[in-house]
Amino acid sequence: MAVIEVQNLIKAFKGDQVVKGLNFTLEKGKCVALLGPNGAGKTTTLRMLSGLLKPTDGSIHFEGATKGEDIRQYIGYLPQYPIFHPWMTGKEFLVYVGQLAHLSKKDAIEKADQLLEKVAIFEARNQRIGKYSGGMKQRLGIAQAMIHSPQLLMLDEPVSSLDPLGRREVLTLMEELKQQTTILFSTHILGDAEEISDDLLVMHHGEIVEAGSIESLRHKHQTAKFELAFQGDTTTYQERLKQLECIQETFLEKGEIHVIVEDIETARREILKEAIATDWPLVKFELSRTTLEDLFMKVVKN
Amino acid sequence: MQWITIFKKEILEDWRNYKWIWVPLVFIVICIMDPISTYYLPQILESVGGMPEGTVLEPPEVVPSQAIMMSLTELSMLGVLVIVAISMSVIAGERKSGVAELILVKPVSYFTYISAKWAEKLLLVFTSYLIGMLASWYYVDLLFGQITAGQFFSLFFFYLIWLIFVISLTIFYNTIVKVPGLVLTLTVVTIMAMSAINQIFSYRMPWFPNSISGHITKMLMENSVPNALWGAVSITIILSVGLLIASNFILKTKEMAD
Repeated sequence: MAVIEVQNLIKAFKGDQVVKGLNFTLEKGKCVALLGPNGAGKTTTLRMLSGLLKPTDGSIHFEGATKGEDIRQYIGYLPQYPIFHPWMTGKEFLVYVGQLAHLSKKDAIEKADQLLEKVAIFEARNQRIGKYSGGMKQRLGIAQAMIHSPQLLMLDEPVSSLDPLGRREVLTLMEELKQQTTILFSTHILGDAEEISDDLLVMHHGEIVEAGSIESLRHKHQTAKFELAFQGDTTTYQERLKQLECIQETFLEKGEIHVIVEDIETARREILKEAIATDWPLVKFELSRTTLEDLFMKVVKN
Repeated sequence: MQWITIFKKEILEDWRNYKWIWVPLVFIVICIMDPISTYYLPQILESVGGMPEGTVLEPPEVVPSQAIMMSLTELSMLGVLVIVAISMSVIAGERKSGVAELILVKPVSYFTYISAKWAEKLLLVFTSYLIGMLASWYYVDLLFGQITAGQFFSLFFFYLIWLIFVISLTIFYNTIVKVPGLVLTLTVVTIMAMSAINQIFSYRMPWFPNSISGHITKMLMENSVPNALWGAVSITIILSVGLLIASNFILKTKEMAD
């Protein structure tokens, strides 16, 4: 079931289209990464979904919301650089925004305590936010986004600005939150997307260039490629490989021959047959899978 | 209730940044400054010296109603400036810093957001103004003569309407620009322009908001409320409400992030 359905979403600033007609749906319970290089339009997209920016065109439909209803109650949002009232304590802020999200004071206090515990800043709950470290603010930011148990949690670059320790903590936290709600988070770091998301939306120049589950994208973009390394002069073997019928293309990289083939099974048989027949001094024979990194680079470069 | 939540948060904020302490103190100083210094002018001149031998210094002839009007004159300059200064970042500041990005993605209506902030600033100004004017009343009564409670409170409430207008105007500019300094400038320039218009056209527009204090002077002298004062007060209230409604519409058209 879809939580949110986006159709032809466009945002233009002074005639300049930053987001150029997005179409996608988010499935309930999924953790989706909005992946793209800086300037791809990720933040603008999230801000439109959260209601902070008005779309120039297109529609955002929230499942279960009637037309014209305030969809902000269903959404939790963490901006890239969350700013709080520095004079408030962490707990005061959570109770404040909890009440703004229609919780009673009692419920807001209860929920604030739970979340403070969960994001591991319970000890610092009565300290002024002005004294919090970057990682603590980020975690408080996640807590404030979760305070009203939203159906969709949107996080804008939740880990990009954190040190490795803070990054690990927030990723673990997101792993946990995945069980409770649908998450859409943006990142320009592929590793983060790969680690916790089920689905990817790859954005570039304001458009979604790839979408799907991580597995399906890997599969789709996998090229059949072998990497071979030899003892002695490698180039002579490249010539001989080129003569094999099953091989499309070869190139040398770092002293290894990369062989692009049509069909993995046939190519493996053919190459190995040839290798045994003419006694090649092979030191490496490897079927390489394209990583998502390759995919990301490929998609972004095109 | 979201309105109460924001209202209370504003009170707490102004408490933590000491506005609830210094604004009333500043208002006391503004209100009593002129009546007291006028009364003690001869002594002050004497102690400063430089007057020719034999000069007889007599306190200027000031009646109590003139003395208390001095407080209003100061309020309409310094007081207004203080009011604009404490309200200039109430919404603009939150938008500029980015807190608004967290607050306004919560299901809060913009009118709740605006009106709760407006009401809290009104409460702060009302309290400070009341304390300041009570102090002024005390000194005027002591030094110049009697001001009746009836005179005092009618003066107090009619002039309060003008101060409400100042707050509403500041809130209005808060929704238009998000640089607090610019809010201050725009508000002060608007009030100065209105005051100039008032001086030029006062005969044709007796109901103009800036004419309220002039009408109050008349009211104290004649001991009855001039019709024009009712008119000016009504217009000022209508304008204030209009500004708040306009603020709501303007904020709705604004994007809460760039």
